[in-house]
Amino acid sequence: MNKIGVFVCHCGLNIASKVDVVEVAEYASKLPGVVISKDYKYMCSDPGANLIKDSIKEFDLDGIVIASCSPRMHEHTFRGVAKDGGLNPFTVEITNIREQCSWAHEDPAEATQKAKALVRSAVSKAALLEPLEASRTPVTPEALVVGGGIAGIQAALNIADSGFKVHLVEKEPTVGGRMAQLDKTFPTLDCSSCILTPKMMEVYHHPNVDLLTYAEVESIEGSIGNYKVKVRKKARYVDIDKCTGCNECASACRLAGRVVDEFNMGMGKRSACYIPFPQAVPLKSTIDPNSCLMLRFGRCGDGPLCVKACEPGAIDFSQKDETLELNVGAVVIATGYDLLEANRMFEYGYGRSPDVITTMQLERLISSSGPTHGEVVLPSSGKHPTSVTFILCVGSRDETQCSWCCRIGCMSALKHVYLLREKLGEEVEINICYTDIRSFGKGYEEFYRNIRSKNTNFFRGRPSEVRVKKEGFLIDIFDTTTDKLFEIRSDMVVLVPALVPRSDSQELARTFKLSRSSDGFLLEAHPKLRPMDTFVNGTFIAGCAQGPKDISDTVSQACGAASRAVGILSKEELENEPLIAWVDPEVCVGCGVCVEVCAYSARNINDVTGIAEVDEALCAGCGACVSSCPSNACTHKNYTKRQLVRMIDEVV
Amino acid sequence: MGITDLTSMAEVETEARRELNERLLRLREEASYYCYQCAKCTAGCEAHKLLELEPHRIVALLKRGLVQEMVNSDIIWTCLSCFKCKERCPQKVAPVNILFALKNLAVASGKEVPGDYTAMLTSAMGMGLIQDVQTVTTRGGETRTREGLCLPPISVPTDPAKFQMTVMTVAMEKV
Amino acid sequence: MRLGLFPGCLMPTEQYGYEISLRKVLPMLGVEIVDVMDLSCCGEPLKSINQMLTLTLSTRSLAVFKKEGLDALVPCPMCHLALSEANRIVKEEEDMARRLNEKLSAEGLDYDGSVALYHTIDLVHDHIGLEKVKDMVKVDLGSPDMATHYGCHIIRPTELGRPVDAENPQKMERILEAIGARSNDYAEKLDCCGGPVLPVHPDTAVTKTGQKLQAVQEQGFDGMVLACPWCHKMYDSKQKKAGETVGAKLEVPVVYLTQLMGLAFGIPPGELGLDLNQSPVERLLQKDKEGA
Ligand SMILES: Cc1cc2nc3c(=O)[nH]c(=O)nc-3n(C[C@H](O)[C@H](O)[C@H](O)COP(=O)(O)OP(=O)(O)OC[C@H]3O[C@@H](n4cnc5c(N)ncnc54)[C@H](O)[C@@H]3O)c2cc1C
Ligand code: SF4
Ligand code: SF4
Repeated sequence: MNKIGVFVCHCGLNIASKVDVVEVAEYASKLPGVVISKDYKYMCSDPGANLIKDSIKEFDLDGIVIASCSPRMHEHTFRGVAKDGGLNPFTVEITNIREQCSWAHEDPAEATQKAKALVRSAVSKAALLEPLEASRTPVTPEALVVGGGIAGIQAALNIADSGFKVHLVEKEPTVGGRMAQLDKTFPTLDCSSCILTPKMMEVYHHPNVDLLTYAEVESIEGSIGNYKVKVRKKARYVDIDKCTGCNECASACRLAGRVVDEFNMGMGKRSACYIPFPQAVPLKSTIDPNSCLMLRFGRCGDGPLCVKACEPGAIDFSQKDETLELNVGAVVIATGYDLLEANRMFEYGYGRSPDVITTMQLERLISSSGPTHGEVVLPSSGKHPTSVTFILCVGSRDETQCSWCCRIGCMSALKHVYLLREKLGEEVEINICYTDIRSFGKGYEEFYRNIRSKNTNFFRGRPSEVRVKKEGFLIDIFDTTTDKLFEIRSDMVVLVPALVPRSDSQELARTFKLSRSSDGFLLEAHPKLRPMDTFVNGTFIAGCAQGPKDISDTVSQACGAASRAVGILSKEELENEPLIAWVDPEVCVGCGVCVEVCAYSARNINDVTGIAEVDEALCAGCGACVSSCPSNACTHKNYTKRQLVRMIDEVV
Repeated sequence: MGITDLTSMAEVETEARRELNERLLRLREEASYYCYQCAKCTAGCEAHKLLELEPHRIVALLKRGLVQEMVNSDIIWTCLSCFKCKERCPQKVAPVNILFALKNLAVASGKEVPGDYTAMLTSAMGMGLIQDVQTVTTRGGETRTREGLCLPPISVPTDPAKFQMTVMTVAMEKV
Repeated sequence: MRLGLFPGCLMPTEQYGYEISLRKVLPMLGVEIVDVMDLSCCGEPLKSINQMLTLTLSTRSLAVFKKEGLDALVPCPMCHLALSEANRIVKEEEDMARRLNEKLSAEGLDYDGSVALYHTIDLVHDHIGLEKVKDMVKVDLGSPDMATHYGCHIIRPTELGRPVDAENPQKMERILEAIGARSNDYAEKLDCCGGPVLPVHPDTAVTKTGQKLQAVQEQGFDGMVLACPWCHKMYDSKQKKAGETVGAKLEVPVVYLTQLMGLAFGIPPGELGLDLNQSPVERLLQKDKEGA
């Protein structure tokens, strides 16, 4: 006969205000098999834990029931307590009398009655619980980082510095991400490339970093500790070992100055063979197959000029994409963000006049490596603007576009005021149309105060539209600080567009089996307590892939994700979750239905026996096979049919 | 307990606010409480420059529960129903529809209906259209009638008595 | 294509030019216009008085169409808005639909939101198609540069499913191209004609009319083209008054889209009701002579 202990938690007043916990404990003490039943204010506290441990010893318990909050909160805690008390951790059954009783019901009597029923049911199951032992699998001590922006670079460096090998996969020809496009950074006005380039060089030279640029993850299988990854290295049509980065090919290219330059946000033109920017890492040319004449039509005039120009003979049109297979123990996703297409807010004139630009385009105009070498000029005429008007929240905090705040727009516009004053002097008129200035970070409010002194016209309101006139723009704005309508005449309009998930974020989420929040960014396991974890064990997220944020937050999160990954890599072995599926070899007929339904590739049919097997490292215990097995050969450990039927019998 | 507007000593009318919001919800989710006073509506309002309508203030007054103040004001009759405010509001508020509701409230509470509305209403309730066929003049100053232009007879309710019964009962009703 | 006509109030009682040209031009493009009896005002002009009245009037007329088994050609943007809103409410707001149908039962009518609505612009652009329009062109209009004016109610609110884009309407422009005219965008394109406040603030209403016409004139357009009887009333019938109000001599030829299409199709101006336009439309006719 089993000896079961029941422990009823008050959860302060969370449970006790509705459920009569004393009565429930009293009731439980009379149930068959129960030798001790106690209630306590906080069962998860130290005294609570001691109460359980002492009872295990005193009454020589072989199963315990805890009536408390959701097992999602404290299952782990109570299994640990049981273990410390000398009991197999899997002989603990938790029943939830908080979310399901005290929080769900108004009437205390009903809540108490339901709590009793749940406890009765749990006790019946506890008597049938099997002690389980966790199996172990070795960990592959290497990591995969996807995305080579500042988040990915930082995460890769931290992991590499901890002594583990990292494969950093970046889809563009260079690492750097959005930060490489910025000129200076708020609030300190550090030069972006001055602080970024050293890190880019470091990932390039770090002995532990395997840098895979112009590459994408094709598929990933396995689970925490042991992932198998297929990476496709796109053909660069340039032999990286021979290319010296002299960029002669770009100057020679027949399409020089004719291909839209995405790095410069469409404002400049490049060649079909190109190095995105002077500090690119690796500093190697790439031939863009979407524009190159050779690659599109098989011929380029009387012969490709790049080939002639390349002294080391690095150009190789016969290159093919390659697929690499990697084995890693942990994954960090740092794929960053996109910007809202500004013409989605057509009323603001983007696309109707070249002089309506976005803040990212302004970054490129300000940058000395940009299309105008740092001269801020009107794209239409090449002249200096005399009045620049910023419109904030373009598509942000907007139920018709993006509900969320972009978290960097206000600060980036304030930064631009500073930089424009620096570049264009006191003459230029600067107007800011804002809804609320959000300057929440360290040093941000001080920065805002400083900008207020820079002869800036702040209008509190949103324009309804930007009217494109023959000369410049007309903007009506109702300023709620003066309660007046103003007409602004400007020759340059800068829109601050919303930050949005990468256009391929849905596919990315599917490949890595990650969830996305309603805004489309990757979803963290818990917004406060597990901000870099995902619901896939061993896969972490960092930077703007998880949601808009500035560089400091991005770097902090990247360090966090790296340390979570290192936590796994530094273990030689991982304990597998024992609550998984099990196949009865006597019953299984090897039909293979389970292999099809398993989303975690944990099932296969043994070649020799012809019977289904469970890979204990991969099985996530989801139960899909159990419910679909036509022969009833599958069971879920400690959720057996017998156990569940007994529980149901007790309550219905 | 309560909130008083010290400029007019008006009390905040929570009940009127609730009714108005519910009316708006019956027609479509256009909840005014989400308005964050960006004044995009007012910046583009077709009635603002000439008639001083400030749709963002209409929404603010509704949020504050000062319904009577608006019902009593002539300003609600200045809206051109161009729908720019509804079209462009980032919070999917529709000041234009709040204004329709306020005007309906004013009429229902017995306020005089301004301008030519009465004539239009009488005509619509009587013959079905807001005006009867007109004689027009050409650019050269000659007169023309609908018949004279060989256009078919106009389409109006075939059983005017029944039609009037229906619309009369409705004219008393709220949304 | 067979469509019942929902004439509304303004077109059949004074804006005859629209009705005449519509009845002339659309049949040439394969649209059979059926006169439907027993209709009334759409109710939109009375929405300020009582929105329930508006909804009842719209739903009633739609119910008549349903009974006749016809979809509706609605040449007036304001009616098109009212009927679209009635359609949406009957389809989506159960309680309102029930209340409205209770009202209709007195006249033996009922409605379920099933009647499809066509305005002149989308009928020509989306359903007839520009190719068919091009095939009908017989006369070179001389490529006049026309300012387009859509009318607020046919472009907004998007949420109600308007047939033309709210911020960047281009369908009239494409039709103009097809019949040998041009149109350049202008900053005031989406501005309101002022018509809706005519009953309460007549002076302001025509001031708005005048301001937009002034802008169109200053930018050197050859004329203005529209497809709304209310806007036409403002820009054409009241052009002189509008000019006086804003202190400008306004001479902008204002025509209905269907009138201009008719000219391009070779119909004599007299058969398009062009003599009823009060603005100096003869300038456009001269233009087409120059071009020819
Ligand atoms: C106009 C503007 C100005 C700004 N100014 C500042 C400032 O002054 N100060 C500040 O703190 N912040 C600023 N920011 C914010 C800053 O840009 C971000 O915080 C930072 O770039 C986020 O870095 P990240 O690595 O998360 O993303 P990203 O920079 O977007 O990097 C993501 C990387 O992942 C790669 N990638 C994407 N998808 C894949 C894939 N499927 N496979 C492989 N690789 C992939 C991308 O190519 C890219 O290299 C500004 C933002 C804008 C828009
Ligand atoms: S109603 Fe909309 S546009 Fe107007 S102030 Fe409120 S949020 Fe802004
Ligand atoms: S619908 Fe009325 S309130 Fe809204 S913008 Fe137009 S005129 Fe102003």
